[in-house]
Amino acid sequence: MILEPITYSGGIYRHEEMVELIEDLGGHIIQRQVIAGDVVIQANVPREDIGILKEVAKPLLGSITISPLVGTEIAVVSMSLEIHHLPHTSCDVAEYLRRYGSKTNMVGLARGFGKRIANLNVEERDVINEHDGAIFLLGNFEECIHYKFPTLRRGIHVPIVVTGGPSTESLKKIIDPPVEGYVGGIGRLMHRYRRPEELAKLEEIVAEISRVLDVRRAEIAKDPLSINPPRLMEVIKEQVSAIEEVTSPTPITVQMTGLRVKLPYETYAGAIRDCEIEDGIHIGDIAHILPSRMRNYIIVRIKPFSETNIVV
Amino acid sequence: MEALEYFTVESPEPLGAEYYRRIMGIVLQDLDLIKIISRLHVYIDPKVPIFVAVGVIKKLPSFIRVRDCGSVKIEEMRATISIGNETYLAPLLIMLQGKFGKDRIDQPDRFTVIITSDQPIQADIEDMVVTDPSEGIYRDLIYAMQYAAPEGFKVRQQFVSKELFYYVASENTLDDAMVRSLVVEKFALMGVRYDP
Repeated sequence: MILEPITYSGGIYRHEEMVELIEDLGGHIIQRQVIAGDVVIQANVPREDIGILKEVAKPLLGSITISPLVGTEIAVVSMSLEIHHLPHTSCDVAEYLRRYGSKTNMVGLARGFGKRIANLNVEERDVINEHDGAIFLLGNFEECIHYKFPTLRRGIHVPIVVTGGPSTESLKKIIDPPVEGYVGGIGRLMHRYRRPEELAKLEEIVAEISRVLDVRRAEIAKDPLSINPPRLMEVIKEQVSAIEEVTSPTPITVQMTGLRVKLPYETYAGAIRDCEIEDGIHIGDIAHILPSRMRNYIIVRIKPFSETNIVV
Repeated sequence: MEALEYFTVESPEPLGAEYYRRIMGIVLQDLDLIKIISRLHVYIDPKVPIFVAVGVIKKLPSFIRVRDCGSVKIEEMRATISIGNETYLAPLLIMLQGKFGKDRIDQPDRFTVIITSDQPIQADIEDMVVTDPSEGIYRDLIYAMQYAAPEGFKVRQQFVSKELFYYVASENTLDDAMVRSLVVEKFALMGVRYDP
Protein backbone atom coordinates (compact mmCIF):
# COMPACT_ATOMS: atom_id res chain seq x y z
CA MET A 1 0.00 0.00 0.00
CA ILE A 2 1.56 3.28 -1.12
CA LEU A 3 0.57 6.23 1.00
CA GLU A 4 0.09 9.59 -0.68
CA PRO A 5 0.35 12.85 1.30
CA ILE A 6 -2.77 15.00 0.91
CA THR A 7 -4.36 18.13 2.35
CA TYR A 8 -8.12 18.33 2.87
CA SER A 9 -9.52 21.80 3.33
CA GLY A 10 -13.18 22.46 3.92
CA GLY A 11 -15.73 23.57 6.44
CA ILE A 12 -15.96 22.29 9.98
CA TYR A 13 -19.51 20.95 9.33
CA ARG A 14 -19.43 17.15 8.87
CA HIS A 15 -15.63 17.08 8.62
CA GLU A 16 -15.66 14.18 11.09
CA GLU A 17 -16.90 12.05 8.20
CA MET A 18 -13.70 12.77 6.35
CA VAL A 19 -11.59 11.99 9.43
CA GLU A 20 -13.34 8.64 9.89
CA LEU A 21 -13.02 7.78 6.21
CA ILE A 22 -9.27 8.45 6.23
CA GLU A 23 -8.88 6.25 9.30
CA ASP A 24 -11.08 3.49 7.83
CA LEU A 25 -9.07 3.46 4.60
CA GLY A 26 -5.91 2.84 6.60
CA GLY A 27 -4.57 6.38 6.30
CA HIS A 28 -2.98 8.47 9.05
CA ILE A 29 -3.92 11.98 10.07
CA ILE A 30 -0.78 14.01 10.59
CA GLN A 31 -2.31 17.32 11.56
CA ARG A 32 -5.83 18.63 12.00
CA GLN A 33 -6.20 22.39 12.28
CA VAL A 34 -9.52 24.04 13.03
CA ILE A 35 -9.49 27.77 12.26
CA ALA A 36 -12.84 29.41 13.00
CA GLY A 37 -15.29 27.68 10.62
CA ASP A 38 -12.60 26.05 8.47
CA VAL A 39 -10.68 22.89 8.89
CA VAL A 40 -7.42 21.79 7.29
CA ILE A 41 -6.41 18.16 7.57
CA GLN A 42 -3.02 16.88 6.49
CA ALA A 43 -2.91 13.14 6.09
CA ASN A 44 -1.27 10.19 4.40
CA VAL A 45 -3.84 8.10 2.53
CA PRO A 46 -3.61 5.07 0.23
CA ARG A 47 -2.98 6.27 -3.30
CA GLU A 48 -5.76 4.17 -4.87
CA ASP A 49 -8.39 5.63 -2.50
CA ILE A 50 -7.90 9.31 -3.33
CA GLY A 51 -10.83 9.08 -5.77
CA ILE A 52 -13.17 7.98 -2.94
CA LEU A 53 -11.97 10.84 -0.75
CA LYS A 54 -12.66 13.32 -3.55
CA GLU A 55 -16.17 11.91 -3.96
CA VAL A 56 -16.88 12.26 -0.24
CA ALA A 57 -15.36 15.76 -0.15
CA LYS A 58 -17.57 17.04 -2.99
CA PRO A 59 -20.90 17.32 -1.10
CA LEU A 60 -19.01 18.79 1.89
CA LEU A 61 -17.65 21.51 -0.43
CA GLY A 62 -14.14 20.50 0.60
CA SER A 63 -11.11 19.97 -1.59
CA ILE A 64 -8.39 17.36 -1.66
CA THR A 65 -4.96 18.39 -2.92
CA ILE A 66 -1.79 16.37 -3.20
CA SER A 67 0.79 17.93 -0.87
CA PRO A 68 4.20 16.38 -1.48
CA LEU A 69 5.71 17.82 1.69
CA VAL A 70 3.19 16.53 4.25
CA GLY A 71 4.99 14.60 6.97
CA THR A 72 8.33 16.37 6.55
CA GLU A 73 10.09 18.84 8.79
CA ILE A 74 12.37 21.26 6.98
CA ALA A 75 14.88 23.74 8.38
CA VAL A 76 14.80 27.12 6.63
CA VAL A 77 18.27 28.43 7.35
CA SER A 78 18.56 32.20 7.29
CA MET A 79 22.00 33.78 7.51
CA SER A 80 20.89 35.94 10.42
CA LEU A 81 17.76 37.27 12.09
CA GLU A 82 18.64 40.89 11.31
CA ILE A 83 16.56 43.23 9.18
CA HIS A 84 18.88 42.47 6.22
CA HIS A 85 17.65 38.88 5.92
CA LEU A 86 14.26 38.89 7.57
CA PRO A 87 11.40 38.89 7.00
CA HIS A 88 11.24 38.88 3.21
CA THR A 89 12.98 35.88 1.67
CA SER A 90 13.08 33.67 4.75
CA CYS A 91 9.45 34.10 5.77
CA ASP A 92 8.13 33.85 2.22
CA VAL A 93 9.99 30.59 1.64
CA ALA A 94 8.99 29.14 5.03
CA GLU A 95 5.38 30.13 4.51
CA TYR A 96 5.24 28.74 0.98
CA LEU A 97 6.67 25.37 2.04
CA ARG A 98 3.99 25.18 4.73
CA ARG A 99 1.33 25.57 2.08
CA TYR A 100 2.52 22.29 0.61
CA GLY A 101 2.23 20.53 3.94
CA SER A 102 5.75 20.79 5.30
CA LYS A 103 6.45 21.77 8.87
CA THR A 104 9.17 24.42 8.64
CA ASN A 105 11.42 25.73 11.35
CA MET A 106 13.39 28.89 10.78
CA VAL A 107 17.01 28.59 11.89
CA GLY A 108 18.57 32.03 12.12
CA LEU A 109 22.32 31.64 12.35
CA ALA A 110 24.14 33.68 14.96
CA ARG A 111 27.03 34.44 12.58
CA GLY A 112 25.95 33.32 9.15
CA PHE A 113 26.39 36.73 7.51
CA GLY A 114 29.44 38.23 5.83
CA LYS A 115 32.12 36.40 3.86
CA ARG A 116 35.22 35.63 5.93
CA ILE A 117 33.41 35.91 9.26
CA ALA A 118 30.56 33.50 8.42
CA ASN A 119 30.29 30.64 10.85
CA LEU A 120 28.05 27.79 11.98
CA ASN A 121 28.10 26.77 15.62
CA VAL A 122 27.61 23.30 17.06
CA GLU A 123 24.10 23.94 18.33
CA GLU A 124 22.96 25.25 14.95
CA ARG A 125 24.51 22.27 13.23
CA ASP A 126 22.75 19.81 15.57
CA VAL A 127 19.40 21.58 15.23
CA ILE A 128 19.62 21.48 11.41
CA ASN A 129 20.57 17.80 11.52
CA GLU A 130 17.34 17.01 13.39
CA HIS A 131 15.33 17.89 10.26
CA ASP A 132 14.51 15.97 7.09
CA GLY A 133 16.20 18.57 4.95
CA ALA A 134 17.63 22.07 5.10
CA ILE A 135 17.18 24.94 2.73
CA PHE A 136 19.99 27.49 2.88
CA LEU A 137 18.98 31.00 1.82
CA LEU A 138 22.22 32.56 0.67
CA GLY A 139 23.04 36.01 -0.68
CA ASN A 140 23.61 37.67 -4.01
CA PHE A 141 27.32 37.28 -4.74
CA GLU A 142 28.96 34.17 -6.19
CA GLU A 143 32.26 35.08 -4.58
CA CYS A 144 30.75 35.11 -1.06
CA ILE A 145 28.75 31.89 -1.54
CA HIS A 146 31.82 30.12 -2.92
CA TYR A 147 33.92 31.28 0.04
CA LYS A 148 31.54 30.76 2.93
CA PHE A 149 29.36 27.79 2.01
CA PRO A 150 31.96 25.10 2.92
CA THR A 151 31.97 26.57 6.45
CA LEU A 152 28.19 26.68 6.70
CA ARG A 153 27.66 23.08 5.56
CA ARG A 154 30.32 21.55 7.82
CA GLY A 155 28.88 18.60 9.75
CA ILE A 156 25.44 18.73 8.16
CA HIS A 157 24.32 15.34 6.91
CA VAL A 158 20.69 16.00 5.97
CA PRO A 159 19.91 16.83 2.31
CA ILE A 160 20.65 20.49 1.52
CA VAL A 161 18.95 22.75 -1.00
CA VAL A 162 20.81 25.99 -1.70
CA THR A 163 19.19 29.17 -2.93
CA GLY A 164 21.10 32.29 -3.90
CA GLY A 165 21.25 35.26 -6.21
CA PRO A 166 23.42 33.67 -8.94
CA SER A 167 21.78 31.40 -11.52
CA THR A 168 21.24 27.70 -10.78
CA GLU A 169 24.10 26.81 -13.17
CA SER A 170 26.50 29.17 -11.40
CA LEU A 171 25.50 27.74 -8.01
CA LYS A 172 26.20 24.24 -9.27
CA LYS A 173 29.60 25.39 -10.51
CA ILE A 174 30.73 27.14 -7.33
CA ILE A 175 29.50 24.63 -4.75
CA ASP A 176 31.90 21.77 -4.34
CA PRO A 177 31.26 19.01 -3.29
CA PRO A 178 27.75 19.26 -4.73
CA VAL A 179 24.65 19.50 -2.58
CA GLU A 180 21.33 17.79 -3.25
CA GLY A 181 19.42 20.73 -4.75
CA TYR A 182 19.89 24.23 -6.15
CA VAL A 183 17.54 27.11 -6.91
CA GLY A 184 19.24 30.16 -8.38
CA GLY A 185 17.98 33.68 -8.92
CA ILE A 186 16.56 34.09 -5.42
CA GLY A 187 18.96 36.01 -3.24
CA ARG A 188 18.68 38.77 -0.69
CA LEU A 189 15.66 40.99 -1.38
CA MET A 190 14.07 43.94 0.32
CA HIS A 191 10.46 43.23 -0.59
CA ARG A 192 7.87 40.48 -0.37
CA TYR A 193 7.54 38.01 -3.22
CA ARG A 194 4.61 39.29 -5.22
CA ARG A 195 5.58 39.47 -8.89
CA PRO A 196 4.69 36.42 -11.03
CA GLU A 197 8.35 35.56 -11.67
CA GLU A 198 9.08 35.71 -7.94
CA LEU A 199 6.14 33.45 -7.12
CA ALA A 200 7.37 31.09 -9.84
CA LYS A 201 10.68 30.92 -7.97
CA LEU A 202 8.85 29.81 -4.82
CA GLU A 203 7.16 27.08 -6.87
CA GLU A 204 10.60 26.10 -8.11
CA ILE A 205 11.85 25.78 -4.53
CA VAL A 206 8.91 23.53 -3.62
CA ALA A 207 9.55 21.38 -6.70
CA GLU A 208 13.26 21.13 -5.93
CA ILE A 209 12.79 20.22 -2.27
CA SER A 210 10.10 17.68 -3.22
CA ARG A 211 12.51 16.12 -5.69
CA VAL A 212 15.28 15.98 -3.10
CA LEU A 213 12.98 14.43 -0.49
CA ASP A 214 11.65 11.90 -3.03
CA VAL A 215 15.22 10.72 -3.55
CA ARG A 216 15.53 10.38 0.22
CA ARG A 217 12.22 8.50 0.40
CA ALA A 218 13.47 6.09 -2.26
CA GLU A 219 16.61 5.49 -0.17
CA ILE A 220 14.48 4.82 2.92
CA ALA A 221 12.28 2.42 0.92
CA LYS A 222 15.29 0.21 0.23
CA ASP A 223 15.56 -0.49 3.95
CA PRO A 224 12.09 0.38 5.30
CA LEU A 225 11.47 1.72 8.77
CA SER A 226 10.23 -0.62 11.48
CA ILE A 227 7.07 1.49 11.80
CA ASN A 228 5.46 4.25 9.80
CA PRO A 229 6.07 7.58 11.65
CA PRO A 230 2.39 8.70 11.56
CA ARG A 231 1.36 5.33 13.03
CA LEU A 232 3.92 5.76 15.82
CA MET A 233 2.47 9.21 16.45
CA GLU A 234 -0.97 7.66 16.98
CA VAL A 235 0.49 5.16 19.47
CA ILE A 236 2.09 7.94 21.50
CA LYS A 237 -1.10 10.03 21.37
CA GLU A 238 -3.11 7.10 22.73
CA GLN A 239 -0.74 6.11 25.51
CA VAL A 240 0.95 9.33 26.70
CA SER A 241 -1.93 11.48 27.89
CA ALA A 242 0.34 14.45 28.72
CA ILE A 243 0.57 15.19 24.99
CA GLU A 244 -3.01 16.48 25.13
CA GLU A 245 -1.88 19.36 27.33
CA VAL A 246 0.80 20.63 24.92
CA THR A 247 -0.37 23.90 23.39
CA SER A 248 1.90 23.78 20.32
CA PRO A 249 0.01 23.48 16.99
CA THR A 250 1.79 20.19 16.37
CA PRO A 251 2.48 18.54 19.75
CA ILE A 252 4.05 15.70 17.78
CA THR A 253 5.76 16.66 14.53
CA VAL A 254 6.01 13.90 11.98
CA GLN A 255 9.28 13.56 10.12
CA MET A 256 10.29 11.16 7.38
CA THR A 257 12.20 8.85 9.71
CA GLY A 258 10.87 9.76 13.11
CA LEU A 259 9.01 12.18 15.30
CA ARG A 260 9.64 15.26 17.37
CA VAL A 261 7.63 14.97 20.58
CA LYS A 262 7.18 18.30 22.32
CA LEU A 263 7.40 16.99 25.89
CA PRO A 264 10.34 17.36 28.27
CA TYR A 265 12.90 14.62 27.70
CA GLU A 266 13.81 14.03 31.36
CA THR A 267 10.20 13.39 32.39
CA TYR A 268 8.71 11.57 29.43
CA ALA A 269 11.50 9.73 27.60
CA GLY A 270 10.98 6.63 29.78
CA ALA A 271 7.19 6.65 29.31
CA ILE A 272 7.57 6.88 25.53
CA ARG A 273 10.18 4.13 25.46
CA ASP A 274 7.80 1.84 27.38
CA CYS A 275 4.73 2.40 25.16
CA GLU A 276 3.57 -0.90 23.74
CA ILE A 277 2.80 -0.87 20.02
CA GLU A 278 1.50 -4.43 19.70
CA ASP A 279 2.30 -7.99 20.82
CA GLY A 280 4.85 -6.95 23.41
CA ILE A 281 6.83 -4.71 21.05
CA HIS A 282 7.70 -1.43 22.73
CA ILE A 283 8.74 1.84 21.14
CA GLY A 284 12.14 1.43 22.78
CA ASP A 285 12.68 -1.76 20.75
CA ILE A 286 12.25 -0.13 17.37
CA ALA A 287 13.36 3.46 17.90
CA HIS A 288 16.02 5.59 19.55
CA ILE A 289 14.54 8.06 22.01
CA LEU A 290 16.94 11.01 22.09
CA PRO A 291 17.02 14.47 23.62
CA SER A 292 16.47 17.20 21.04
CA ARG A 293 18.69 20.29 20.75
CA MET A 294 15.51 22.28 20.24
CA ARG A 295 14.28 23.26 23.74
CA ASN A 296 14.02 20.08 25.77
CA TYR A 297 11.92 18.16 23.28
CA ILE A 298 12.27 14.49 22.47
CA ILE A 299 13.45 13.18 19.13
CA VAL A 300 12.30 9.69 18.18
CA ARG A 301 14.44 8.10 15.47
CA ILE A 302 12.86 4.96 14.06
CA LYS A 303 15.34 2.15 13.39
CA PRO A 304 15.24 0.48 9.95
CA PHE A 305 14.05 -3.08 9.44
CA SER A 306 17.61 -4.32 8.88
CA GLU A 307 18.47 -3.33 12.44
CA THR A 308 15.40 -4.62 14.28
CA ASN A 309 13.97 -7.38 12.08
CA ILE A 310 10.56 -6.06 13.09
CA VAL A 311 7.90 -4.30 11.03
CA VAL A 312 4.74 -3.24 12.84
CA MET B 1 14.20 55.54 -8.85
CA GLU B 2 13.64 58.03 -11.68
CA ALA B 3 13.82 60.86 -9.17
CA LEU B 4 17.61 60.51 -8.93
CA GLU B 5 19.69 62.30 -11.54
CA TYR B 6 22.36 59.62 -11.35
CA PHE B 7 22.12 56.17 -9.81
CA THR B 8 24.61 53.41 -10.54
CA VAL B 9 25.57 50.22 -8.75
CA GLU B 10 28.95 48.95 -9.84
CA SER B 11 30.36 45.52 -9.07
CA PRO B 12 32.61 42.92 -10.70
CA GLU B 13 29.53 40.63 -10.58
CA PRO B 14 26.88 42.26 -12.81
CA LEU B 15 24.03 40.10 -11.51
CA GLY B 16 24.91 40.95 -7.91
CA ALA B 17 25.01 44.64 -8.87
CA GLU B 18 21.51 44.36 -10.34
CA TYR B 19 20.16 42.81 -7.10
CA TYR B 20 21.79 45.53 -5.05
CA ARG B 21 20.33 48.20 -7.31
CA ARG B 22 16.88 46.88 -6.44
CA ILE B 23 17.71 46.61 -2.73
CA MET B 24 19.07 50.16 -2.61
CA GLY B 25 16.07 51.49 -4.54
CA ILE B 26 13.59 49.92 -2.13
CA VAL B 27 15.49 51.02 0.97
CA LEU B 28 15.62 54.64 -0.23
CA GLN B 29 11.94 54.55 -1.13
CA ASP B 30 10.95 52.99 2.20
CA LEU B 31 12.86 55.59 4.19
CA ASP B 32 11.61 58.38 1.95
CA LEU B 33 15.14 59.51 1.08
CA ILE B 34 14.77 59.82 -2.69
CA LYS B 35 13.69 63.41 -2.27
CA ILE B 36 16.93 64.36 -0.53
CA ILE B 37 19.50 62.47 -2.65
CA SER B 38 20.25 63.67 -6.15
CA ARG B 39 23.16 61.42 -7.13
CA LEU B 40 24.24 58.06 -5.81
CA HIS B 41 27.04 55.72 -6.82
CA VAL B 42 27.43 52.35 -5.10
CA TYR B 43 30.44 50.11 -5.54
CA ILE B 44 30.55 46.58 -4.14
CA ASP B 45 33.53 44.29 -4.54
CA PRO B 46 32.87 40.96 -2.83
CA LYS B 47 36.49 39.89 -3.40
CA VAL B 48 37.96 42.47 -0.98
CA PRO B 49 35.13 42.61 0.37
CA ILE B 50 34.07 46.26 0.43
CA PHE B 51 30.90 48.32 0.05
CA VAL B 52 31.19 51.98 -0.95
CA ALA B 53 28.28 54.38 -1.38
CA VAL B 54 28.92 58.00 -2.35
CA GLY B 55 26.20 60.53 -2.98
CA VAL B 56 25.15 64.12 -3.39
CA ILE B 57 22.47 65.54 -1.11
CA LYS B 58 19.84 67.92 -2.48
CA LYS B 59 19.16 71.24 -0.82
CA LEU B 60 17.22 70.33 2.28
CA PRO B 61 13.91 71.98 3.17
CA SER B 62 14.35 74.85 5.63
CA PHE B 63 12.89 75.10 9.13
CA ILE B 64 9.26 74.21 9.72
CA ARG B 65 7.53 77.19 11.32
CA VAL B 66 4.17 77.52 13.07
CA ARG B 67 2.58 78.98 9.94
CA ASP B 68 3.50 75.79 8.03
CA CYS B 69 1.40 73.76 10.47
CA GLY B 70 -1.78 75.83 10.28
CA SER B 71 -3.36 79.27 10.50
CA VAL B 72 -3.09 81.36 13.66
CA LYS B 73 -5.77 83.68 14.98
CA ILE B 74 -4.64 85.99 17.80
CA GLU B 75 -7.10 87.66 20.19
CA GLU B 76 -4.89 89.53 22.67
CA MET B 77 -4.05 86.95 25.36
CA ARG B 78 -5.47 84.03 23.45
CA ALA B 79 -4.39 82.43 20.19
CA THR B 80 -6.09 79.67 18.25
CA ILE B 81 -4.12 77.54 15.79
CA SER B 82 -6.22 75.66 13.24
CA ILE B 83 -4.04 72.76 12.21
CA GLY B 84 -3.75 72.30 8.45
CA ASN B 85 -0.82 69.86 8.35
CA GLU B 86 -0.64 67.30 11.13
CA THR B 87 2.84 66.00 10.24
CA TYR B 88 4.62 68.20 12.78
CA LEU B 89 1.82 68.40 15.37
CA ALA B 90 3.78 66.60 18.08
CA PRO B 91 6.88 68.84 17.89
CA LEU B 92 4.56 71.89 17.65
CA LEU B 93 2.83 70.96 20.91
CA ILE B 94 6.15 70.26 22.62
CA MET B 95 7.50 73.62 21.48
CA LEU B 96 4.40 75.54 22.60
CA GLN B 97 4.31 73.78 25.96
CA GLY B 98 7.96 74.67 26.49
CA LYS B 99 7.34 78.31 25.62
CA PHE B 100 4.00 79.01 27.34
CA GLY B 101 3.77 76.26 29.97
CA LYS B 102 1.91 72.97 29.81
CA ASP B 103 -1.28 74.24 31.52
CA ARG B 104 -1.71 77.06 29.00
CA ILE B 105 -1.91 74.84 25.93
CA ASP B 106 -5.18 73.13 25.24
CA GLN B 107 -6.15 70.87 22.36
CA PRO B 108 -9.96 70.50 22.46
CA ASP B 109 -10.02 68.53 19.23
CA ARG B 110 -7.59 67.04 16.75
CA PHE B 111 -7.30 70.14 14.56
CA THR B 112 -7.40 72.93 17.13
CA VAL B 113 -4.75 74.16 19.55
CA ILE B 114 -5.60 77.00 21.93
CA ILE B 115 -2.98 79.05 23.77
CA THR B 116 -4.14 81.10 26.77
CA SER B 117 -1.39 83.38 27.98
CA ASP B 118 -1.20 85.82 30.92
CA GLN B 119 0.16 88.53 28.64
CA PRO B 120 -0.67 89.62 25.07
CA ILE B 121 0.55 87.16 22.43
CA GLN B 122 2.90 88.65 19.86
CA ALA B 123 2.09 88.41 16.15
CA ASP B 124 5.49 86.81 15.46
CA ILE B 125 4.25 83.53 16.93
CA GLU B 126 3.64 82.47 13.33
CA ASP B 127 7.37 82.62 12.62
CA MET B 128 8.42 80.48 15.55
CA VAL B 129 10.50 77.44 14.52
CA VAL B 130 8.81 74.12 15.22
CA THR B 131 11.47 71.75 14.00
CA ASP B 132 14.44 71.35 11.70
CA PRO B 133 13.59 68.52 9.26
CA SER B 134 17.24 68.04 8.29
CA GLU B 135 18.07 66.94 11.85
CA GLY B 136 16.94 63.34 11.45
CA ILE B 137 17.74 63.07 7.79
CA TYR B 138 21.49 62.56 8.18
CA ARG B 139 20.84 59.81 10.68
CA ASP B 140 18.30 58.21 8.31
CA LEU B 141 20.79 58.41 5.46
CA ILE B 142 23.45 56.46 7.33
CA TYR B 143 20.82 54.02 8.58
CA ALA B 144 19.71 53.44 4.98
CA MET B 145 23.27 52.64 3.94
CA GLN B 146 23.74 50.22 6.85
CA TYR B 147 20.44 48.59 5.95
CA ALA B 148 21.26 48.21 2.26
CA ALA B 149 24.91 47.18 2.63
CA PRO B 150 25.64 43.44 2.92
CA GLU B 151 25.22 42.32 6.50
CA GLY B 152 28.36 41.63 8.47
CA PHE B 153 30.24 44.61 7.07
CA LYS B 154 30.67 46.07 10.51
CA VAL B 155 33.93 47.97 10.04
CA ARG B 156 32.84 51.24 8.53
CA GLN B 157 33.67 54.84 7.81
CA GLN B 158 31.01 57.42 7.15
CA PHE B 159 30.87 61.10 6.36
CA VAL B 160 27.92 63.45 5.89
CA SER B 161 28.17 67.13 5.07
CA LYS B 162 25.52 69.53 3.82
CA GLU B 163 26.13 68.53 0.21
CA LEU B 164 27.93 65.20 0.12
CA PHE B 165 28.01 61.91 1.95
CA TYR B 166 29.90 58.67 1.76
CA TYR B 167 29.64 55.34 3.54
CA VAL B 168 32.34 52.68 3.31
CA ALA B 169 31.96 49.30 4.99
CA SER B 170 33.84 46.04 5.09
CA GLU B 171 34.35 43.06 7.36
CA ASN B 172 38.11 43.66 7.37
CA THR B 173 40.07 46.58 8.74
CA LEU B 174 39.89 49.47 6.32
CA ASP B 175 43.04 51.09 5.05
CA ASP B 176 42.61 54.87 5.23
CA ALA B 177 44.52 55.60 2.03
CA MET B 178 42.52 53.02 0.09
CA VAL B 179 39.21 54.33 1.40
CA ARG B 180 40.20 57.89 0.48
CA SER B 181 41.25 57.02 -3.05
CA LEU B 182 38.15 54.88 -3.61
CA VAL B 183 35.81 57.59 -2.40
CA VAL B 184 37.51 60.28 -4.54
CA GLU B 185 37.39 57.95 -7.57
CA LYS B 186 33.69 57.16 -7.12
CA PHE B 187 32.77 60.81 -6.61
CA ALA B 188 34.67 61.61 -9.82
CA LEU B 189 32.55 59.05 -11.71
CA MET B 190 29.48 61.12 -10.80
CA GLY B 191 31.23 64.28 -11.94
CA VAL B 192 31.75 65.53 -8.39
CA ARG B 193 35.10 66.76 -7.12
CA TYR B 194 35.71 65.67 -3.55
CA ASP B 195 38.78 66.75 -1.65
CA PRO B 196 39.11 64.82 1.63
